[in-house]
Amino acid sequence: MSNVLRRIEIPIALTIIFTLLQVIPYYFRWESDTKLVDPLDSAAGITSQWVLLVVAWSIFIGVISLIQVHGKTVQKRGKGWYYSIIVLATCIVMTIAGLPFPKELGLGINNPVYTFLFNNVQSPLSATVFATIAFFITSAAYRSFRAKNIEATIVLVAGLLLVMSNAPLFTATVPLIKTIGQWIYDIPNMATNRAVTIGAALGLVALAVRTLLGRERGYLRGGGD
Amino acid sequence: MSFIEKLQNIDRRWLYLLAWIFVLYPLINPLGLPVPIQKESTAWNKAVNDIPDGSVVIFSCMFSIASIPELYPMTIATFSHLLTKNCKIIVATFWADGALVFDQTLLKQFDPAKYGKVYGKDWIDLGYVPGAETAMRAFADDMVNTFPKDYINSQPTGSYEIMKNIKTAKDVDIIVSFESGTPGVGEWLRQWNTPYGTKLIVGCSGVSAPGMAPYLQSGQLSANLPGLTSTAEYELLIKRPALAVAGVDAVSMSHLLVVLLVILGNVGYFATRGRKS
Repeated sequence: MSNVLRRIEIPIALTIIFTLLQVIPYYFRWESDTKLVDPLDSAAGITSQWVLLVVAWSIFIGVISLIQVHGKTVQKRGKGWYYSIIVLATCIVMTIAGLPFPKELGLGINNPVYTFLFNNVQSPLSATVFATIAFFITSAAYRSFRAKNIEATIVLVAGLLLVMSNAPLFTATVPLIKTIGQWIYDIPNMATNRAVTIGAALGLVALAVRTLLGRERGYLRGGGD
Repeated sequence: MSFIEKLQNIDRRWLYLLAWIFVLYPLINPLGLPVPIQKESTAWNKAVNDIPDGSVVIFSCMFSIASIPELYPMTIATFSHLLTKNCKIIVATFWADGALVFDQTLLKQFDPAKYGKVYGKDWIDLGYVPGAETAMRAFADDMVNTFPKDYINSQPTGSYEIMKNIKTAKDVDIIVSFESGTPGVGEWLRQWNTPYGTKLIVGCSGVSAPGMAPYLQSGQLSANLPGLTSTAEYELLIKRPALAVAGVDAVSMSHLLVVLLVILGNVGYFATRGRKS
């Protein structure tokens, strides 16, 4: 019996069934008066709710994994173990303080400890890390934007014009800069992005077809057959 | 090494210092540079203004805390604009930080009750549900069961007056989404706009703007508000100058620095190119 349950065909069959369950009602929703599509649509909706439960549970796996990894680092006094203590402590404090129950203890999103940590630790730290990108972009633009050949010159000119078209200092002084920047955004940029989007979509269709045919097995047993 | 050669190899620490000065100075001493109104902010203002009375609006903060400096000003400006309108607002997000961003920062800034909006009747905060695109699909099919309880009071969503006639995506008129990645515009388009025809407008960080162009051109996206500059224009249009107007001088100065550095680097490159060869 256990050998039967381990057969590779079972997860492949489940994948095909649940994929078709989502795909068929999506394309025939406009025909939802038909008796065939309504139950399928309803079943697709129920399975979507199942996925939400699975994903919600996977968050616990993430927390357990985090505790295991950093717990081991602390236990073995590994490299930067003191940072792991901070990770574990903040994880535990935020989790307990943010629990929506029991209400009598004043826990939840309005708990003062939770609010304090969010507003005075998490928010400024996240914003600061993100803001450091500005320094790297300034340095990277200076080092990489060199008119070494025709292609590099095109990128340089287009990039500079777009940078300038996004700064009121330039667009207020020379309104033509915005017009040129808008043209770059509306025509070459749009065309390129559309090509990338359509290319990626076609790739996804191919991947879906391969998965439906059982040819794509990258998601099974760590990618092996 | 001559001065001209040094121009193409300035130590990065000097660059960081210059960037710091060019951003910080206008934040401390606003320069009051003019902010010309462009078509993105005009379209955004029109899209919000044109929301008919009695419409149902999904308001979604699809970004993390890290994006607050860029996206928060447009979020707060648009939310305050929506509160002046006679529409029902459903706040929901599919980013873990989104609910916190809305609750801990935006709601602390101003109270919708001051605009005469009653919680549970005119607006509701459903919070966050995990599952990204799948959750967005589930939300479109069955809004109450996807968010069984509201975020602020933890009461059954279906018990609120606002949700009495709002069950699926068919009951929603427009989505106003602020985002910095995935899930975002692509998922809204696939699960809401295409199957249900729900109108969509998206505010995004400046770096995401180029990816919005195909959707704007095709009409799938009704309006796009990219970055801090457009937000400053929008704040001026709704006569509510705030965070973005205060920060747009820093945007101008930092962009000026980039342009100057690129020119200097190329001057150094061309001046020494012949010598090297």
